[in-house]
Amino acid sequence: MTINITFNGKAIQVEPGQTILQVARQNEVNIPTLCYHKDLSPTGNCRMCVVEVKNWRFLQAACVTQVTDGMEIETHNEKVTKSRKLSLQLMLANHPQDCLTCEASGECELQDLAYEYKIEAPGWGTKGTRYTVDSDPNPFIRVDMNRCILCRRCVQACAEIQVRNVWGVARRGIDEQIVAGADTTMLEAHCESCGQCVAYCPTGALSNKMSYGKGRRHQIKKVPTICTYCGVGCQFDFNVKNGRIIGVSSNPNSPVNGMALCVKGRYGWDFIYHPDRLKKPMVRQYLLDGKTKPTHYDPKCPDWGWVETDWEKALDITAKKLGQTIDSHGPNSVGVFTSAKCTNEENYLMNKFSRQVIGTNNIDHCARL
Amino acid sequence: MTNKTTRFKPIPQEILEKSVELSNSPEVLLELLSNLQALPESLSRDNITYAARLLNIPAHHAYGVTTFYSMLSTETRKNTLRICDGPVCWIKRASAEEKHTKNVVDLISDTVPSEWTVERSSCLGLCDRAPAILVNDDQAGPISIGETKNACQGWKGVPTDYSIPRPNEKRVMLANTDQIDPNDIHSAIKFGGYLGLQTALQLTPEEVIAIIEASGLQGRGGAGFPVGRKWKFVSQAQIFPKYIIANADESEPLIFKDRVLIDSNPHQLLEGMAIGGYACGASEAYIYIRGEYVSQAQRLKLAIKQAGELGWLGDNIQGSGFSFHIHVHLGAGAYICGEETALIESLEGKRGEPRLRPPYPPTFGFRGHPTAVNNVESFAAVPHIMKNGSDWWKSLSTYSVPGTKLYMILGHVRKPGIFEAPFGLTLRQIIDDYGGGLQDGSSFHFALTGGAAGTMVNSSMLDIPLDYSSSQKGIGLGAGAFLICDNRVSSVAFLRELLHFFAAESCGKCTPCRVGTWRAYNLLCQMADNEITEPDIDELKALSENMLLTSFCGLGQSVPISINSALANFASEFSASRKRD
Repeated sequence: MTINITFNGKAIQVEPGQTILQVARQNEVNIPTLCYHKDLSPTGNCRMCVVEVKNWRFLQAACVTQVTDGMEIETHNEKVTKSRKLSLQLMLANHPQDCLTCEASGECELQDLAYEYKIEAPGWGTKGTRYTVDSDPNPFIRVDMNRCILCRRCVQACAEIQVRNVWGVARRGIDEQIVAGADTTMLEAHCESCGQCVAYCPTGALSNKMSYGKGRRHQIKKVPTICTYCGVGCQFDFNVKNGRIIGVSSNPNSPVNGMALCVKGRYGWDFIYHPDRLKKPMVRQYLLDGKTKPTHYDPKCPDWGWVETDWEKALDITAKKLGQTIDSHGPNSVGVFTSAKCTNEENYLMNKFSRQVIGTNNIDHCARL
Repeated sequence: MTNKTTRFKPIPQEILEKSVELSNSPEVLLELLSNLQALPESLSRDNITYAARLLNIPAHHAYGVTTFYSMLSTETRKNTLRICDGPVCWIKRASAEEKHTKNVVDLISDTVPSEWTVERSSCLGLCDRAPAILVNDDQAGPISIGETKNACQGWKGVPTDYSIPRPNEKRVMLANTDQIDPNDIHSAIKFGGYLGLQTALQLTPEEVIAIIEASGLQGRGGAGFPVGRKWKFVSQAQIFPKYIIANADESEPLIFKDRVLIDSNPHQLLEGMAIGGYACGASEAYIYIRGEYVSQAQRLKLAIKQAGELGWLGDNIQGSGFSFHIHVHLGAGAYICGEETALIESLEGKRGEPRLRPPYPPTFGFRGHPTAVNNVESFAAVPHIMKNGSDWWKSLSTYSVPGTKLYMILGHVRKPGIFEAPFGLTLRQIIDDYGGGLQDGSSFHFALTGGAAGTMVNSSMLDIPLDYSSSQKGIGLGAGAFLICDNRVSSVAFLRELLHFFAAESCGKCTPCRVGTWRAYNLLCQMADNEITEPDIDELKALSENMLLTSFCGLGQSVPISINSALANFASEFSASRKRD
């Protein structure tokens, strides 16, 4: 069963039970939103998505108003546009005018709407001078509540997706503020630093500390990849600038995890460029020299020292030793332990190698789930 | 800063003691926090975190609630003086010392002992005792700034006496207040108390609803929604259990009728609720009473106890098989909780933020169940209708809207106070016939009618008969309050005070109200203190229009009523050519 509505002057048939916003998106009409996100339950706070419904006294928030039979909806008439512009001004009045240096510039939904509706910040307002910048010691998440527009997406993401309930709303009226726990640090409020709140924040109020200042949207290339840490197979985008990974961002099209990631997936990428990371094979000196293994371990003895070598040599030694062990003790004397620091494809190959080449089921991984 | 290990530390004994009489449901959060406020560390972050652990809720939830309500404070304080800055108190003080209430708080802080914390409060509902204050939990007034220090030593002022009707009054709900002892159920029964309930119990619930519908009783909160129709919705809903809620969160400036009703005859409220419960099929009920009405809440608890002892409340009332339990729930200072869905949220132990509507409370209310939320005055009228019939209720008035209601007349009239009369009165009648006329030397400048979310009208509207539809003619009845101001009161400064109230009470959920009320207040501060410019007025109009069109709930939608009426009726005083004093 469908119902008939008039949408921007055009008669259309739609499924009942949908919101005006859903109908608009199906019909490729862009109604602006800030507090709404398809993954979160709609709240109708920001009033950006208001539309005019004929014979209704007030403008209606499209994200929470269901279509009913005979409804006549205008999404972009003068009344609606005027209201959106003023609501944007009200948000910008207390928002810092720091797009020049803001991390979110280029992927900030507030900035995009100000641009689309040609809104300048009004001359009055606090302009984001109310809170301490970078106010939370969380090692991964940077908090600047001056940029917050109180859409509450972070609160919902934390409660509905991660179910940690770290973020909440405190005080009221113009003093309303997003706080962690009883206005404590995030970690004290049981935050597990998954960064869901950052992923859903439409502005630069919440951002990623490790990536801060390293590159903005127009400077980076997003490279989709699969997380290597565990078996869930979450997908995300590496943010790559000049061939260098500067961060991770959620990929909303990820089939397994959507926008959600855990702390390891979102923030555990710094090993890539870590100075301690091994980039070339190392072997013990005695192996390189073709000697037998000294009977006692002595770190001071040069035979035990680690020596950088090339892959050819290292693989030769490994293959030879594995072959000897299998020959003398059987394939089950060998075990393979693979690593979350490798790609899934590499891990798959190690699985094949273990079972088919060596002939053992002794294979495990550091993060099997 | 909360100690990192608070989550692992055992909950201190003193905190457990404060919660011993409460359940561990999140719904008791407000009560638990109020109890914890009495501890030496008050509502420290640690204590808030403990409260959250006790109720198994996130810490942010308890903290958000604590900071939402104005009577809960995270600061340690021994004694608190709350200075009412409602419009009536402001007018009384403005003529004396100071124009801005924030200065009054400073002035009073200088005169009282240092262990007293002085803070402003939105209207305390003591307009007949203006200028009023709240001394910890005790209501006091009238009291001048200079005398306030006496209140710290126990001076309370004199409550207003309403036992003698004014000439022309027609009393139903206020009848016999001179002879009814509000603390004794027997005196209420002597004057017909619980006869209405007895009548109802002999009828079917459908018949009770039919009588209330036939009477044409409209909700007395201000919107005038028919009580019978609301009850019908609840009774037809097929989700159980159902609930009855009396909205005694009387926080609208100028309104204090519910307080007077509770103080004069609490039993008619309880009886009206029980009839409502019988009609709707509910046996649990709550009275949500504002946190500033502690003595009224105690009076209600006593009345409930007495009614239970005589079998008029509780299980199996008078052998009828109908059970009805009433609980009293104290708010903690939030105007928005008068909005029914915000009230329900607050009753559930959350921040008093309004819900999305629809669904409305009759289908999705308290705990998601069908709920009838009615004003105290609506419930108080019900027993009289049950007892005497709907025709009698209609016969009280020759006007098209049946019955009587309570009116509050305040400001520069000779006899301010409360009275009961039928609908259809004009503002002129209210001033002259009931308010004793304007004070000597006063000439009518404007009236605020209905409450802060009401209309500011000029003398051209003195002769419009008032009911719930008269707002279409530009003069709102609201909950029935009328503040009369003479030429000493500046309309611009007065509107500024109204906006101060709205900005202080906006819940902060939606953008147009959260920032709009604050900006409008700042604009009006400039206008009242300096020259008015054309762009200022244009901006005020734009803010007002935006609040009306796009606000989430009735609070933001009704702020423009006062702004628009002031701009329309006092255009010359808001004009750019006029220089302010």
